[in-house]
Amino acid sequence: MTDKPKIGVYVCHCGINISATVDVEAVAEYAQNLPNVHLARTYSYMCSDPGQALIKKDIREQGLNRVIVASCSPRMHENTFRKAVQEEGLNPYFLEIANIREQCSWVHDNKEEATAKAKKIVASAVAKSRLLEPLESKEVDAEPAALIIGAGIAGIQASLDIADAGFKVYLVEKSPSVGGRMAQLDKTFPTLDCSACILTPKMVDCASHPNIELMTYSEVEEVDGFVGNFTVRVRKKARYVDVNICTGCGECAKACRLANRISSEFDEGMGQRSAIYLPFPQAVPAKYTIDPENCLMLTRGKCGKGPRCEEACQAGAINFEQQDEIVEFKVGAIIVATGFDTFDASRKPEYGYSDYPNVITGLEMERLVSSSGPTGGEIKVFNGEEEIVPKEIAFIKCVGSRDASVGNEYCSRVCCMYTAKQAHLLREKIPDARIRVYYMDVRAFGKGYEEFYDRVRRENVRYIRGNPSEIFKRGNKLVVKVEDTLTSTPLEDEVDMVVLAVGLEPRADMRQVMDLLRLSQSGDRFFLEAHPKLRPVDTATDGVFLAGCCQGPKDIPDTVAQAKGAASSAMVPLARGKVTINAQVATVDESTCRGCGYCVNVCPYSAIEMVTINRFGHEVEVARVNEALCKGCGSCSSVCLSDSIQPKSFRDRQILPQIAALGGMS
Amino acid sequence: MDLEQLRKTTAEVAARDDVKYLIGWEKGTYGYRVSPVFIENEADAEDLIFSPLCTSNLATYLTLVEKPPLPRGQKADIRKVALMVKGCDSRAVAQILVEKGIEREQIIVIGCPCPGVVDVDLLAAKYPEIAENTELKWSGEDFTLIRGGEEIPVKREEVLAEKCRLCRYPNPVISDITIGEPVKPWQTEEDPGVSEIEEKSVEERWEYWEEQFARCIRCYSCRNVCPLCYCEDCILDRLNPTWVNRAVNFSENTAFHIARAFHLAGRCVECGECERVCPVNIPLGRLNRKLAREVRGKYGFEPGLDPDGKPFQASYKPDDPEDFIL
Amino acid sequence: MSEDFEPNIVAFLCNWCSYAGADLAGTSRVHYPANIKVIRVMCSGRVNPLYVMNALQQGADGVLVSGCHPGDCHYMEGNYYARRRLGIFKELLEFVGVDSRRFHMSWVSASEGHKWKEVVEKTVEDVRAAGPFKGFRRWQIDW
Repeated sequence: MTDKPKIGVYVCHCGINISATVDVEAVAEYAQNLPNVHLARTYSYMCSDPGQALIKKDIREQGLNRVIVASCSPRMHENTFRKAVQEEGLNPYFLEIANIREQCSWVHDNKEEATAKAKKIVASAVAKSRLLEPLESKEVDAEPAALIIGAGIAGIQASLDIADAGFKVYLVEKSPSVGGRMAQLDKTFPTLDCSACILTPKMVDCASHPNIELMTYSEVEEVDGFVGNFTVRVRKKARYVDVNICTGCGECAKACRLANRISSEFDEGMGQRSAIYLPFPQAVPAKYTIDPENCLMLTRGKCGKGPRCEEACQAGAINFEQQDEIVEFKVGAIIVATGFDTFDASRKPEYGYSDYPNVITGLEMERLVSSSGPTGGEIKVFNGEEEIVPKEIAFIKCVGSRDASVGNEYCSRVCCMYTAKQAHLLREKIPDARIRVYYMDVRAFGKGYEEFYDRVRRENVRYIRGNPSEIFKRGNKLVVKVEDTLTSTPLEDEVDMVVLAVGLEPRADMRQVMDLLRLSQSGDRFFLEAHPKLRPVDTATDGVFLAGCCQGPKDIPDTVAQAKGAASSAMVPLARGKVTINAQVATVDESTCRGCGYCVNVCPYSAIEMVTINRFGHEVEVARVNEALCKGCGSCSSVCLSDSIQPKSFRDRQILPQIAALGGMS
Repeated sequence: MDLEQLRKTTAEVAARDDVKYLIGWEKGTYGYRVSPVFIENEADAEDLIFSPLCTSNLATYLTLVEKPPLPRGQKADIRKVALMVKGCDSRAVAQILVEKGIEREQIIVIGCPCPGVVDVDLLAAKYPEIAENTELKWSGEDFTLIRGGEEIPVKREEVLAEKCRLCRYPNPVISDITIGEPVKPWQTEEDPGVSEIEEKSVEERWEYWEEQFARCIRCYSCRNVCPLCYCEDCILDRLNPTWVNRAVNFSENTAFHIARAFHLAGRCVECGECERVCPVNIPLGRLNRKLAREVRGKYGFEPGLDPDGKPFQASYKPDDPEDFIL
Repeated sequence: MSEDFEPNIVAFLCNWCSYAGADLAGTSRVHYPANIKVIRVMCSGRVNPLYVMNALQQGADGVLVSGCHPGDCHYMEGNYYARRRLGIFKELLEFVGVDSRRFHMSWVSASEGHKWKEVVEKTVEDVRAAGPFKGFRRWQIDW
């Protein structure tokens, strides 16, 4: 136990900020007579150097072991005074602030009332201070490694930054290749760089970087621990191809019995692949993967007389006996960069996406216009009767964005610009096409975006303000029914092809990641950041950061910027090598805990677990706090029926005396 | 209720090696009394009864088990405990399971569908003469009192316990073995005891409870009998911090009863034991039932139905009522 | 009740929203009655409803609990638990005959200095109307 409390009370004048409405001398005199108060002084500015020196001198010479500063809000100077008392060898948590400025002198005008209230506030602080306990901030080592989930441009950029800084990176990607959505794009707005040209070098860097351990076709299964000390389990799914042997020659895919019979995810179903495949020509790693859902050998156990891929593979890399592999490793920080899904246009049935082959989505348009796409970059569509080169083309914006009827009230931020870009690319490929864009608003907010939008309009792309109500077929044409809301004219536009500028949505499988890392969703269902403005890459879980579209729709520059932000935040614990654990955490009295688990239910940080202890020969379950995860909110303690779990510095036995002091019964 | 079946089934359970004891009811020593009994071997199952006099909630004994320090090396007896439950008692068991007061595998629940038990005080007031071999049986809707060989029909409404008038779960919500046929739940009646107080003005309510709480002798029977008050170290006994002073006076008594009722909010299964055992007849059930009514009506939550459910106070719904918030 | 009765009110404020909101009222020099005295806790979820009982027993005529708006809790969901527990506790107090005006709960964010003033004024007005709460005072012996 600590020594008998010997409290020093320091009442601050704060110039006249406090003393104008509070009789500080009277407060000090009152405090002097409170139990355990050794001395009470006033001073003009407690936070000034002489003010702090006064406290230090008294600790030194008078042997104070508790200090109360009656001054401004603890949110202002609590840390200042904690440091001051610590410098004199006192535990910083023996410092208590009585807020007599923001919540007293500044808000009351009657000096008598304000003084009486200030006395009570000081009495309450004294009542608590007598029962305070010394707390130690602990530090634990941080593992100098990071886990990045998702290898799109956000994950790739974050990995490269962290790896370049000299830390180990585990980059886990669910699909067989890195690259993500950006790899599917043709050109990028507004500069029209070829997406593959700028992305591929980064993909290759990722694979060859000595500090990056790339795990494609793998999924994170379990994450335990806390900032600095996460233990991660990853399932490396069986590819049925030995990646150490596979040369990526592609003979297997040509030989496959299902060659060009399976629709390609990469080409958004517009192209075909084999059951053994490389998602796209620039895939990294350039290793083939057998699709277990389609491969005849894996689904039926039989592939003709024998699997042709096996025959075709000179290197002998095919291995149908391969099993999933579980790997486990430790990291200090985690970046979630799981990306987005595009809006499923069939949820807007009025646009006929499911009915008409010449109604396509923006992402399908990317593949169509790409020279490595299914048509080799030729713009051809099937209008239900024949394959044609469309001459009349309509774009519809905000499909699945800014639309409460599908549950997406947000703007997807990229559709305006990719529509402009695609209109430009179509103009290049089909110079005589008539191109119209139906829009609600045009949001061209980025660097060079407005200029690009202007350029596209000058290229004879007509923008018509109106949100089409319906698309239907008339002969071999599609009719877009719409009202031009600027002229209030109803229109029926006959076209050969409609491109739906579908918005961005949270990934369908994001729930898994949420459960894995205890993340939350914001109102738009994307991952919730710790603060929308000041902590946009942090999450409520310390050491877990967000990058890219998993946090909300973004274009490529914003994604890269956020990835770099997340990388530098993640590197803070890695570079420091240590993490400091909050000292004001909850603690359990295991002798009274009845093991009901109420606290486990309410803890937002999963910081409490049930453990079995031996209580005089009986095995009983009790709660135990993981101090590294606890943030000291104290919600656990107010559900605890036996008061067994208590947040340090805010224990019931510290708060009840405060209540008594304020109530007037101490 | 088929006593033969009851005794046969319980004897089988008591005979099991993995059963420590079976908790049931037996005829008490005197008059209408029925007392809880712990059966450790099958022969004793002969003493068990189940009648409208079996008012007590045996679930209390699941958690009331003392765990004295064991000599080094000695293992705790962790064999199963079997217990007989009525509908209301079974809800207490379910709620104890929610709170991990005991493991599901550690208990064998013998469910006894219950057509309603009597308020022994009402019965004794109406039929005060006590004879040897007094028994009370269910017969149709009503009861039959057997006293010295004589059979006296007793009207249900005259003696039925208050909790049973309000009962909505006469059949056990969990049971491993059921004895007897399920009972058809009867029409639920509004809780007149609670409504009566609700209709009073705030001053009248305070006066009403002042009269009640002032009488409290702080014997703690209500707490001790409650199947859900089983903290080994109750906060209302504690001195550091002191939630409630030990002095017996109106202020501390009121604090005690508010705290007790609040700790049971969303947990109380309305078994009525607190009220039954109160030596000064404070209508404690009304406090608990008021909260149960609000928890059910405003929060759509009912405790003691789903052993895998979430506890009321340790969960929330985003659309919980907040009309009281400024 | 006497005209000059000045109610004594204990308030529990969460550190991140309501306490900051009350601080903002201070920095904005928004004036409000001095009857309210604040105890800072980290989260409204920390407020054990028995604190309310304890405050009423130990000399408070009224109690106020204030936290972040739903969805804004610094600890994600502490205020939701507080709302449920204190909501049911308020029902209990009313049933026992404690005037509902004696106990209020509010959501005040860090930017709502003016709302804090309104909440305080409303609480003080209500408690003043309800009068001194003597019935439940802890009995104390003057040695």
